Amino acid sequence: MSRPQSMHFGRRVIHYSALLAIGILALFPMYFMAITGLKTGVQLQANPFNIAIAHPFGTFYVAAWHYIAGDLLRTAIIIAPSVAGIIFFGMMSAYALARMEFYGRTVVFYAIFGLLLIPSFLVLIPLFLEVKGMGLQNSLFSLILPYVAGGQAFAMFIFRSSIEGLPDELFEAGRLDGASHFRMLWSIVMPLSKPIMIVIGLINVTAFWGDYVFPSLVLSASKSTAAMAIGNFQPPVSITSIDVVNLQFAAYTIVAIPMVLLFIIFLRYFISGMASGAVKM
Amino acid sequence: MTDEPAPDVRPAASRRRANRPTLSRTLLAWAFLAPTVVFVGVFAYWPAVRALEGAFTNWDGVSVPQWIGLGNFRSLFHDHIFFQSFVHLFWWTIIGIPLGMGASLLVALLIYRLGSRRAQYAFRVAFSLTLCLPGIVGILTWSYFYQTGGVVDAVMTDLGLGHSSTSWLANPHTALWALILMGFPWVGAFAMLVFYAGLQAIPQEIIDAAAVDGVTSLKRVWHVELPLIRGQLKVILVLSIIGITQNLLPPLLLTQGGPGYDTYTPVLYMYNSAFDYARMGFALAIAFVLFLISLILAIATMRFLRSDTDNRRKVA
Repeated sequence: MSRPQSMHFGRRVIHYSALLAIGILALFPMYFMAITGLKTGVQLQANPFNIAIAHPFGTFYVAAWHYIAGDLLRTAIIIAPSVAGIIFFGMMSAYALARMEFYGRTVVFYAIFGLLLIPSFLVLIPLFLEVKGMGLQNSLFSLILPYVAGGQAFAMFIFRSSIEGLPDELFEAGRLDGASHFRMLWSIVMPLSKPIMIVIGLINVTAFWGDYVFPSLVLSASKSTAAMAIGNFQPPVSITSIDVVNLQFAAYTIVAIPMVLLFIIFLRYFISGMASGAVKM
Repeated sequence: MTDEPAPDVRPAASRRRANRPTLSRTLLAWAFLAPTVVFVGVFAYWPAVRALEGAFTNWDGVSVPQWIGLGNFRSLFHDHIFFQSFVHLFWWTIIGIPLGMGASLLVALLIYRLGSRRAQYAFRVAFSLTLCLPGIVGILTWSYFYQTGGVVDAVMTDLGLGHSSTSWLANPHTALWALILMGFPWVGAFAMLVFYAGLQAIPQEIIDAAAVDGVTSLKRVWHVELPLIRGQLKVILVLSIIGITQNLLPPLLLTQGGPGYDTYTPVLYMYNSAFDYARMGFALAIAFVLFLISLILAIATMRFLRSDTDNRRKVA
């Protein structure tokens, strides 16, 4: 950019402070969660904003971890195959639509993209009854199977335009080498689609990680997901009632930490995937 | 989506070369599509069909549903809770969407205008971190902020706005507004990144031309940048409209629609009818009406914004 040199110093200060202020406000709930989990109820009532430490250090985090560790693991076991299914099946379908010529393509195209118009609340009740009818209630498949289905349309929407955007010469070369379509998907499309795969993966993981309504319909309390465990918080009797809030915020923080780690690991790809401008109409 | 001219869905390769579909190609392609088709058919289309069908029955979820024609829709028409819930959704849409989109756009513009690339990247990363906060955690945190003597009260006292002893979510005068204004400063990281990507794609020549013409900063936003990110504004607006009609968690977790019916939204009414009162047919009728309204709104938005872009293209 050519502007910065000409930009007045005072305006630059205002510009940066505005961004900093909004950023601090936007991140405040995360800061608040983390510090509230560290202090006692009495310290919280004295001043909700400052940092104070309960004795022994991190006591509520330890208690919250015991409360929620099993549910976190269960949530991860549900999400991993769901997201893998969304990405892999979505990419296979997008590849077929973008690079193959076959009978019924237009019908399939509209049938799958039409799904974007069906809102989740419309299918919530029948899907719950269907899953129950299949005898899947209280099984992790009651979430995995609908999750894989629910993520397909959006994944294909994004994958298709990115596969179309890959240069034809790559596929031409593959064909000359006698590569099958599956081979080309595996060796050409997959390596080049990493940022898009990561954007789709992260968006789905965060959505499922915080999903509360459908899991609480199909799973019982003894098989809670992490979101259910914090949404229907049952404080252990060993905690004094004034400290329950601190235990809750420690649990919220623990639930958020895996997402923060995922973002930090994949940040570079995520930012560049989002910057590729794939999302527009 | 629906009003656009039919996109050319043939693969790029076949647009150039006549590449006829054959039986073996078709079989292979359907093998690629099979997992998606099965999943989507069983867990998306089948329940959607059941939903549409169920809206015309007195289904209670257990016994065999009986067809009652438009009975559910007739009861909805005379149901004042239903109308009240739509009024609440109306305010939520009219206030919530401009706040959310405005804040995200403002941040995207501020970041885009930063001189240093590294500072741009750092701020994008910082705002992206808010995506890590699962929705339910954010909502539960805000429910604490709104408690009597909670963070909102503490901030108001510190700013000298007087000591409020109201419980924001339990007071009928404030509950709906507390829900709508939740999430201050309303910056949506996803929307912000989409807007930023759009701004980033504006050719440098256009920016330079504007600078040569002496266009002021604010005018540049209005006449140059906003028209050029119309595609992004449109997709976020449509997603926001669809998202806000489905926004069940805040009222479900924080107010259960109360006090009284003051924070009922259509989707909460649907949920309660189905799972608290076992009126599945009635609930599905609510879902059906809500679906139609959000669909009409989304299509109207796309059409409205499209004609605008087209005019601009003709001028340019």
